[in-house]
Amino acid sequence: MLENLSVTEKQILERLKTIPDPEVEVNIVDLGLIYEIRHNEKEKNINIVMTLSARGCPVGDTIMQHVETVTKAFLPEYDVNVELTWEPQWTPEMITPDGKALLNM
Amino acid sequence: MQAGLSTKNAPSPSVVLPHYAAGAIFFIIASVLLFFASENLANTFIGPKILGLTHILVLGWITVIIFGALYQLIPVVMEVKLFSEPLAHISFYTLVTGTVLLSYTFWNNYINQTIYLQTGGTLIFISVILFVINVLFSALKTKQKTLENLFIVTSAGWLLLTVLLGIFITLNPVLHFVPKSNLELLKIHVNFGLIGWFMMLVIGVSSTLLPMFFIAHKLNRTFIHLAYYFTNGGLIFLMLTLYFDTNILFKITAGLILVAGIIFFIKYNFDAYKKRLRKKLDIGMKLSVFAFVLLFLTLIFGIFSVLNIEILTEYNSSIYAAYGISLILGFFSALILGQMYKTLPFIVWLKLYQDKVGKFKIPMPAHIYSAKVADWHYYSFITAIIIILTGVFLKESILIKISAVAFFITASLYTFNTFKILFHKDKSELLN
Repeated sequence: MLENLSVTEKQILERLKTIPDPEVEVNIVDLGLIYEIRHNEKEKNINIVMTLSARGCPVGDTIMQHVETVTKAFLPEYDVNVELTWEPQWTPEMITPDGKALLNM
Repeated sequence: MQAGLSTKNAPSPSVVLPHYAAGAIFFIIASVLLFFASENLANTFIGPKILGLTHILVLGWITVIIFGALYQLIPVVMEVKLFSEPLAHISFYTLVTGTVLLSYTFWNNYINQTIYLQTGGTLIFISVILFVINVLFSALKTKQKTLENLFIVTSAGWLLLTVLLGIFITLNPVLHFVPKSNLELLKIHVNFGLIGWFMMLVIGVSSTLLPMFFIAHKLNRTFIHLAYYFTNGGLIFLMLTLYFDTNILFKITAGLILVAGIIFFIKYNFDAYKKRLRKKLDIGMKLSVFAFVLLFLTLIFGIFSVLNIEILTEYNSSIYAAYGISLILGFFSALILGQMYKTLPFIVWLKLYQDKVGKFKIPMPAHIYSAKVADWHYYSFITAIIIILTGVFLKESILIKISAVAFFITASLYTFNTFKILFHKDKSELLN
């Protein structure tokens, strides 16, 4: 999960906060959809593991494409790989306190 | 392509979007016809005008939109591409033309054999066959053997039976297949259509969509399994009791099994509503929640219409009419009005902005229609429902006329938003 992030990984995470889930209009980081960010300086690649709030989400691959575009715009010299996982399954407990505030939870 | 993603399987917008446009127009036509059928509806639940109006509603308004929505939804729940887009196109045009011809005949000539009736019936039959082929062959390709898929396939089967029985009803008086009156067969036809086709589909699709839109998790899926078995079992039992005209106890038992199935469905969605993350509901979900209030009302009218209580004999015709109204103009219509806002803006948004996310400043799906107009038709719809039910019970055609005006306002505002979404132009701006 999002622990022990490097400075670059933290910067990527901040940029991913600009991506909203079009249905709820809350950003995907605060929704808890980003599970992992791995930045490899040597091999010049970035691996992002994420999930969606529901299987079959109609805008799922648009969100993933958005993640790739935003990351690539920040670090154009890197290869960006966005991987979708259903393990562990997303639950509302993964929403950050900021996300909960945005959702009036 | 990663499992669970659906956008790449989505059909071309040209398959789906015309259904939303045509459905909205049919809703306006239905509200106009309701105005002119008000005298009839104040006194009875059956007759040429009511039959014409009902078919405009169930085929033109509800079925047309459901077909379109399903073409979009099948790839989502089955995780496969739609079997055939050309078949879907042909099915759309035959359904629309057939509905106009059939409803026109019913409105004017009841069920006399005319060229319009035969052509209309044939076109609808072709449309349904093509739709069923699309559903079944898409289902055969899927690896997702889920209950939602079973609901969709089962409902397509009931739709086929509904149409076959409809054709049978028009031929039986001439060819004398079975010694049954049209009214007896009509009751089975109506239940096949309303419960087997619409309700079965709504239960299956809602059990996927509503929790997703509510963002509700950890729901007890047993209720949806029970809803499937009770609704199908109850419908088969009801069909037998109606056909063999058994005593009232059997009819009540069949009715109770059906009611139990629908209550399991309501319970599942009520849990989703209670566990929802989004406390503030948008217009789409407000209308969907109101739909469930109307479904509850339908159950009450349904129970009274089966019980046939003696002291209410004077109101029997009103109860039958109220049952049909609260289900067709109420529950199904409210759900369609609401779910349009949860589906159509996304389809158009994906078409225009899918490749622009992250590169341009783009509007969100909720920003491509007028929220104010949606709010107005939410209130005009509630007003229309209250007035029409009051009019039916008081047998006052003037109230039904007033409700028709409220439905016309609702349909017009809804159509305005539908077309605003359909004709939305790319509003992306370069990022600073």
